[in-house]
Amino acid sequence: MSIKRADKKKEKKELIMQRALELFASKGFYSTTIPDIALSLKMSVGNIYNYFKSKDILAKEIIKYISIYLGNKLKDINEKDISTQEKTRQIVEVYFGVALLKPEMIDYFLRIYLSNREVFQDGCEGMICVNEFVTEIMIYFEEGVECGDLRDQDFFSAFGLFMGYLGGMVFLKGENILPKKLDEYVDDISINIYKALRT
Amino acid sequence: MLSKKLKILWLTAITCNGNTHSFLNYPHLDIFMDTFEFIYHPSIDSAYTLNDIINKEIACDILIIEGSISTEYIKADAPIVDIINKYASKVQKIVTVGTCASFGGMFRESDYKDTTGLHFDKERPTSLFEHIKEKTISLSGCPVHPDIIANTLYSIEKKRAIELDSLLRPKEFFAYTVHNGCTRNEYFEYKIDNHQFGKKEGCMFYDHGCHAPYTHGSCNKILWNEVNSKTRAGLSCMGCTEPTFPKGDFFHTKKNMGIPQYLPFGVAKRTYLTLAGITKAFHIKRLEEDLFDD
Amino acid sequence: MIKLIEKIEGEAKLNFSFEKGLIDFVEIEFLSTRNIEKILQNKNALDALVITPRVCGICNHAHLMASVQALESCYEELELSNRAKITRELTLNFEIIHNHFKWFYLTIMPLMGYKQYLLKATQPSQLMAKAIATIAGQYPHTSYSIVGGVVSDIGMMDLIKVENYIDKTLKFFEQNLVYAKSDEFLECNNSNKLLSKEGDLPNLVNKIKDNGWSNVGKSYDRFIAFGENSYFKKGKSIKTRLTTNIYIDKVQEASNINSYAKNVLYKERYYEVGPLSRAMINKTPLIKDSHRKYGDSILSRILARVCEIPQLLNHSKKLIKQLDLSEPSYIKPKIDISDITALGSSAIEASRGTLIHKVNIKNGIIQKYDIITPTQWNLANGTKESLGVSQKAMIGLENTQLAELSFKSFDVCSVCTTH
Repeated sequence: MSIKRADKKKEKKELIMQRALELFASKGFYSTTIPDIALSLKMSVGNIYNYFKSKDILAKEIIKYISIYLGNKLKDINEKDISTQEKTRQIVEVYFGVALLKPEMIDYFLRIYLSNREVFQDGCEGMICVNEFVTEIMIYFEEGVECGDLRDQDFFSAFGLFMGYLGGMVFLKGENILPKKLDEYVDDISINIYKALRT
Repeated sequence: MLSKKLKILWLTAITCNGNTHSFLNYPHLDIFMDTFEFIYHPSIDSAYTLNDIINKEIACDILIIEGSISTEYIKADAPIVDIINKYASKVQKIVTVGTCASFGGMFRESDYKDTTGLHFDKERPTSLFEHIKEKTISLSGCPVHPDIIANTLYSIEKKRAIELDSLLRPKEFFAYTVHNGCTRNEYFEYKIDNHQFGKKEGCMFYDHGCHAPYTHGSCNKILWNEVNSKTRAGLSCMGCTEPTFPKGDFFHTKKNMGIPQYLPFGVAKRTYLTLAGITKAFHIKRLEEDLFDD
Repeated sequence: MIKLIEKIEGEAKLNFSFEKGLIDFVEIEFLSTRNIEKILQNKNALDALVITPRVCGICNHAHLMASVQALESCYEELELSNRAKITRELTLNFEIIHNHFKWFYLTIMPLMGYKQYLLKATQPSQLMAKAIATIAGQYPHTSYSIVGGVVSDIGMMDLIKVENYIDKTLKFFEQNLVYAKSDEFLECNNSNKLLSKEGDLPNLVNKIKDNGWSNVGKSYDRFIAFGENSYFKKGKSIKTRLTTNIYIDKVQEASNINSYAKNVLYKERYYEVGPLSRAMINKTPLIKDSHRKYGDSILSRILARVCEIPQLLNHSKKLIKQLDLSEPSYIKPKIDISDITALGSSAIEASRGTLIHKVNIKNGIIQKYDIITPTQWNLANGTKESLGVSQKAMIGLENTQLAELSFKSFDVCSVCTTH
């Protein structure tokens, strides 16, 4: 396969995943079928199966896609020469930014990936399918502790605090409960997180 | 007739003599002594006394130094620095045996002023013996393995070029990590992190301070006393061949939010964590059970 | 007259004064110190298991054992399996045996005018080092004994290997030191009978007798041993009068103006430690017989030290039979050492005699660490009025060569003394 054709295939794959994400968010994961996705993209059902052999495979590819997408954004932050406090703020900002721009991504992560573990048993064991994202969070924590900014503790106690808080806010936003816009919470929330994690 | 044996002066400075005794475990001392002769050794008989060594002109081909060095340290009424300089100028090669002589080691913390290795204070190069640096080979380890001493001396005798790393250590022994060849490697590869002391199973890297993946050495390749190694026996590698030895807190892995601070050599944190994340997701029954379980 | 004594794991200076052709007084000076006790300060308690073996290249294992027991004594309650206890005793026995071969062939034989048989020292000592390594990973400088047990989980096949090293070492003994079956040697209670045999030991001892040196090196005839295990007994013996009630807190360390080494006394008196002391306290028949005939002389010291080789080899074989490999090697202490604030101490028998470690830890951090080595007992540098054990052994001798022999009959270890 030529590079050009490979790139095209990748683009098409991403297009399918993006459309699937949107449909999952609006119609629900179980109610959305491959023919629904095909129809919405004006593709044949058979052609979709050329890209994803089953809906389960599509589901797993999507979570990896989100993980890589978020992971890359976090990697950029981790590689910056800035304080842990500033990193904390930027991570929160990026997460909320994605929640605003691509709410279907965060929605998928929280409502589908975390709630339908049976779909992700085979091939998405543990945190494999969100590895890129989790790795960056690990690096952010590890470096924060190493430079003395963050308090050493169990990884999951810190991870839970961080992700639970952000997830909770996005959930409240999704339920239209938040009085202010999500990005207006970035400063307070990042200060809260940093204060909770710092030495 | 003059002996054709290569003449070695084994000089001890601030030391526990651990390298002396490690060397006595060399299994082929019989043929070794056919090729080499000690003009002085801390326990093997020699033709000369320490006073002879210090006060007379005695032919010498190789100077071995064991122990950390300080300008304050006096041996048999002579400053060790003077004895070293006296012989360093006439020998073909200088060999530092042990981490003390190479980098300062355990006795860098002794009360003598400015105690260091011959050319290094930990990793930092020192200048006192700069003029003899090109002759020096560092054999680190606390103690150094006897094969490493003997085979280095043989390569000097056979005039074969020895490739050295930046800390003057022979690459053939120190390009490896102590992790290479450890019988517990599978537990490391698959991130089975529930090691307990007193067990055949498990890897000490995760909780119990094992330095093997980031320590240069051949312990698990050439084995100690020809039979075993610390890590095979279930004891963490203490990183004793490295300039940073002794780091302290030997039985405990320094972790930041559960992530080991020191990672295998040359493996980027991101790479390590990605791989660890993947392998940890799986359960490998064989490695989670005791070896002898049915 | 000053004589530099070399090849004693470092050096020492003996400063002799003569009166009417005989040694009248001798000062013992050790020439350096490495401050291990200070290095230990403010370190994590378990780090002592890595640092203290570096006191000494030849008795590192004894320091490990003293260290682990001192730390364990900081616990009010600590479970230790029999398996761990036996394993520790085995590897320490092997170190003692390894040392005795080195001492006999590298130090004493050459002093008596024989060629130094390097390989006779290294062959059996290497076997013992292999036996330690099989269990503990390596020799020298392992830290395999940790608070709560030992780290290794050896199997039956490893034990067979260790048994073979023991048998091979015994065979070496029978073919070199005393040409006799070791069983016969162990049952022997008559030193004359032993000396009628062939072998490096009887040859050397007979040479001492022929030279008229049988009574050389006598000291106070006071012996002490604090280390207790399944073989060694604790006690003190003044001449042959044995007492078993002795207390570590009555051991005093006194600083010494002329030397880096500190003197060690028990209730203000100097005592000899080491194989002869152990044999007197254990009432080993052969050594008791030698003591009856030759007192606490170099002759008895040499016999006692070499005699420990087959004794400990034989005893180790028995210990291996008692090992139950189904027991755990290690039982994790219920309280982490970082939560321990306590004083601890231990006394074990090392190659050269009683070795004491004392530790003061606060939340698992070492505040103070004291090490009292066997050589400090034997080589105390006392005054003319109150001579140390080895000083007394040298007084009255006619030359420094005999003095050196007496001095080295204590198996001097400079590095231990100057920790």
